[in-house]
Amino acid sequence: MVDSDTGSLVEVRNFTKRYRKATAVKGVSLSIRAGEIYGLIGPDGAGKSSLMKAVAGVLSFEGGSIDAFGTRIDSEAAAEQVKGQLGFMPQGLGLNLYPELSIEENIDFFAQLRQVPRKRLAERKARLLAMTRLAPFRERRMKQLSGGMKQKLGLICTLIHEPRLVILDEPTTGVDPVSRRDFWSILAELLRERGITALISTAYMDEAARFHRLSLMYAGSVLTTGEPEQILAEVPGSIVSLQATQQIVALSRLEQHFQQVEAVGRELRTFVPDLPPTAAAAKVSELLQGLEYSQLQTYPPELEDAFIALLYRRKLVHPAQATPATPNTPQAAQGEIPDDPPPKHDGIAIEARGLTRDFGPFRAVDQISFKVCEGEIFGLLGANGAGKTTAIKMLTGILRPTAGEGRVAGADMRRASQEIKERIGYMSQAFSLYRDMTVMENIKLYARIYAVPRAQSRQRIAWVIEMAGLHGVENRLAGSLPMGIRQRLALGCALVHRPAVLFLDEPTSGVDPIGRRRFWEILVRLARTEGVAILVTTHYMSEAEHCDHLALMYAGRIIADASPADMKAALKTEAGELLELTTDQPLKALEVLDQAEFSGVALFGKHIHLLAPDPQQAREHITQLLAAKDIQLLDMQIRVPSLEDVFVYRILSQERAEAAA
Amino acid sequence: MNIQRAWAVAWKETREILRDRLFLAMAFVVPTMILVVLSYGLSFDVENIPFAVVDYDRSTLSREYLHRFSDSRYFDFQGEARDVRTLETLLAKGKIRFAIIIPPRFQRRLLADRNIAVQSLIDGVFPYRTQVSKGYIAAINANFNADLINGYLVDKFGLRPDQARAAIQPVQLATRYLYNQAIRSGWSLSSGLIMLVLMVSPPFLTALGVVRERENGSIYNIYASTVTRGEFLLGKLLPYIGISAINVLIVWLLAVYLFGAPFKGQPLFFFFASIIYVICTAGIGLLVSLIVRTQAAAALLTMVIAFIPAMLYSGLLVPIESMSQETQIEAHLFPALYYLRIVWGSFLKGLGWSVLWVDVLALAVYAVLLWTIGFISFRKRPRQ
Repeated sequence: MVDSDTGSLVEVRNFTKRYRKATAVKGVSLSIRAGEIYGLIGPDGAGKSSLMKAVAGVLSFEGGSIDAFGTRIDSEAAAEQVKGQLGFMPQGLGLNLYPELSIEENIDFFAQLRQVPRKRLAERKARLLAMTRLAPFRERRMKQLSGGMKQKLGLICTLIHEPRLVILDEPTTGVDPVSRRDFWSILAELLRERGITALISTAYMDEAARFHRLSLMYAGSVLTTGEPEQILAEVPGSIVSLQATQQIVALSRLEQHFQQVEAVGRELRTFVPDLPPTAAAAKVSELLQGLEYSQLQTYPPELEDAFIALLYRRKLVHPAQATPATPNTPQAAQGEIPDDPPPKHDGIAIEARGLTRDFGPFRAVDQISFKVCEGEIFGLLGANGAGKTTAIKMLTGILRPTAGEGRVAGADMRRASQEIKERIGYMSQAFSLYRDMTVMENIKLYARIYAVPRAQSRQRIAWVIEMAGLHGVENRLAGSLPMGIRQRLALGCALVHRPAVLFLDEPTSGVDPIGRRRFWEILVRLARTEGVAILVTTHYMSEAEHCDHLALMYAGRIIADASPADMKAALKTEAGELLELTTDQPLKALEVLDQAEFSGVALFGKHIHLLAPDPQQAREHITQLLAAKDIQLLDMQIRVPSLEDVFVYRILSQERAEAAA
Repeated sequence: MNIQRAWAVAWKETREILRDRLFLAMAFVVPTMILVVLSYGLSFDVENIPFAVVDYDRSTLSREYLHRFSDSRYFDFQGEARDVRTLETLLAKGKIRFAIIIPPRFQRRLLADRNIAVQSLIDGVFPYRTQVSKGYIAAINANFNADLINGYLVDKFGLRPDQARAAIQPVQLATRYLYNQAIRSGWSLSSGLIMLVLMVSPPFLTALGVVRERENGSIYNIYASTVTRGEFLLGKLLPYIGISAINVLIVWLLAVYLFGAPFKGQPLFFFFASIIYVICTAGIGLLVSLIVRTQAAAALLTMVIAFIPAMLYSGLLVPIESMSQETQIEAHLFPALYYLRIVWGSFLKGLGWSVLWVDVLALAVYAVLLWTIGFISFRKRPRQ
């Protein structure tokens, strides 16, 4: 039953959800059409989960209405009526599965709950297991599966009764890039084959292209709704990127004119609203007169730029979140501060030499080696469970390595003196703040814990507040602050004793894009002006661009280690250009291209990405292949590969090499 | 009610429990542990009380007097001290619980037909033990006096010892202890503790089982599917009832074979009543699971609302009749009381259906009530 008035499967009108007194979602409306993949994109606390649970009939709500399959979901009894046609996967990787049961037992349990007839179950199970390549592991307990496998098993369990609508809450968070791509292609295929409709949420802005239509959500409201292209069109403008010799000075100058300026590695990236590329480039050059810069380029804005622009437009940004990290001090404007390239620090601040750690028979970290210089931002990337946190714990001396050694400032961390340990700042995954203490009290406490001399402590605390942009919230309770500010406070606390080396474990997880940008701005300043060596882990591939140097961890090992630019360059030499194809039948085209053995073939919404050494030659080949199947090639463009493209390629090469060996 | 779906939930739950070693151990080891530890630790028999003496007389009679204490199975003679100060130190350190001090001229005064005071110092920290000790000491002292008079009568008037005895104690009390003939508290306690064990373990497991699903998020599989709450609750209940049924047998065997408690009643009746009780206490666990969100909180709350009232209001430690009026009403509101009657009735008194049916009925009403509340408050579409 599709609602005949609107032609939609799910109709949400003015939906409002409150938890006690706090309003989590206010007045959200959207409609999901049959057969589409509908996305909800937004940071933690945007209200995505509440909305999805309410649609799935597992959460009651206070205002508005939800109709699914023509039934108004306003009571438990009404919700029960539609649950047979729904599949719901809650947030948290594999958390809704049963760790002690095997893959097959998990599937069987879901099938029994849904009363799938035995014969049909056998067919579906065989097909889904083959498709997800989980068939060889059907006896394996769920708790022994990798993140990617858990996620695929979760998908099978949600789809085993072939619902007409699947609701998946952040299915790709924390999964490695290859599994993420795998997940999207399996999902696309299943949805097409069975005509299933999907409502999917994500915190990754770069996944927007996977959806037919989407709603951008923030703090309980929908910012905008539409096809990805439509949303981008709402925020006209251009991105201008360049490399300035005096990066911080250039940054400060541009910040006075534009709301969205960020330092991404060596690049300065500016969103110039309303101007076409050439005019935007001209405007930026004009503003930077007198400064040295090179490699000026223009790009179309991405969804994250649009998201932030919309936030500013709707005035939804918290004032404290929007103030620049360091107020534009007169010195900065005059270029008097010690400026970049950073004071030439050649010293190696952090070094891992064959670092290894076993937990029982499981090797969490497998002989990793790398160096981080003073003033460098080093990114350790990988999925949940790749070994990032274990590596950091060994380098900070919290965990003893099984083999190899970690050195900080030249000292082996196993035997390092207290003095060395005091030169380290560490911000753990779960920010260790005291939520019922004020911002000031937290900073003072850390100053005492790190034994900052009384004479200096005043000045250090003032510096922390300045640097982390905590003016005006000094007397607020830490627990009452928005996520983004709390995380800057945690950073400030880790810096109060002026460490020369800083370790950050997933500092931006769950923080909204503006908060993330602000945070990175602070890190860049720390590295460039204070010469702090920073080692940061993240599972946001888009954040990796900020780092000077990257190491990709996969299953406990480092499988790539270079600067972002070098990594992309290497991809180009090894595998060729990234091509984006637009066809009239994307799924069919995907199948044809996959069989033709192009590398890196992946579906992004309506578009297909693939890698080809010679674009011209590839175009002819592709046109031929597609024409043979009556598929029209509408467009083909060369795209700049993202780091995710790089990592997917690296991981797959690694797997192939291992399979061959 | 679709039995297949309920069965699917029960089967899944069983397999999870069997494979989760920690949980499995908790299911079976904890009840056994409670029974064994508390049976040994909570014994109310006052035996082997350590004591010491100071004998300033050192005569035949004083030695004979003291022998009566050191020969008693209730007392444990620690030796003779030099002076009273040593005794006080021993008492303060808890090395002895009481002391006897015999003054000089004990024998001389007695032989001269005069009275004499013997001093006894008793540790009063634990009033129950103090009272019992005092009773024993007084009894031994009375006995000594009676023997003295007895000897006097025999010597002075030429009476036969039995005549003399009849003259001193014309009325004798003949006591017969029923149900627990040896008045061993171990019998009552080890069987009574079955009540406590089955009050703690089933709600503990049930609460953790439900809360664990909520904590993980797997409860959403239930919420989002067409399984009804009745099917879910039934499926969830069955494995825990099964485990508890096995535990009933284990604790029964322990009480009978390890602690030597007699079982005089009807095994089938006892087993049936125990299952009703287990369903009832598991219902308490269900209610706990509806209130709390984390496993830790579930464990804590179960302890507070199950363990403590069962200890205090069941009649296990303090007889119901000696409680105040209000406390008695509270005790009757709690299922432990009825089951304790069933346990002691079955173990010690050999009672069955004909007498205990009221208590079984009370438990059944309780169980139905708890599960109905649980059923009504379980929401597949909660507020948060």
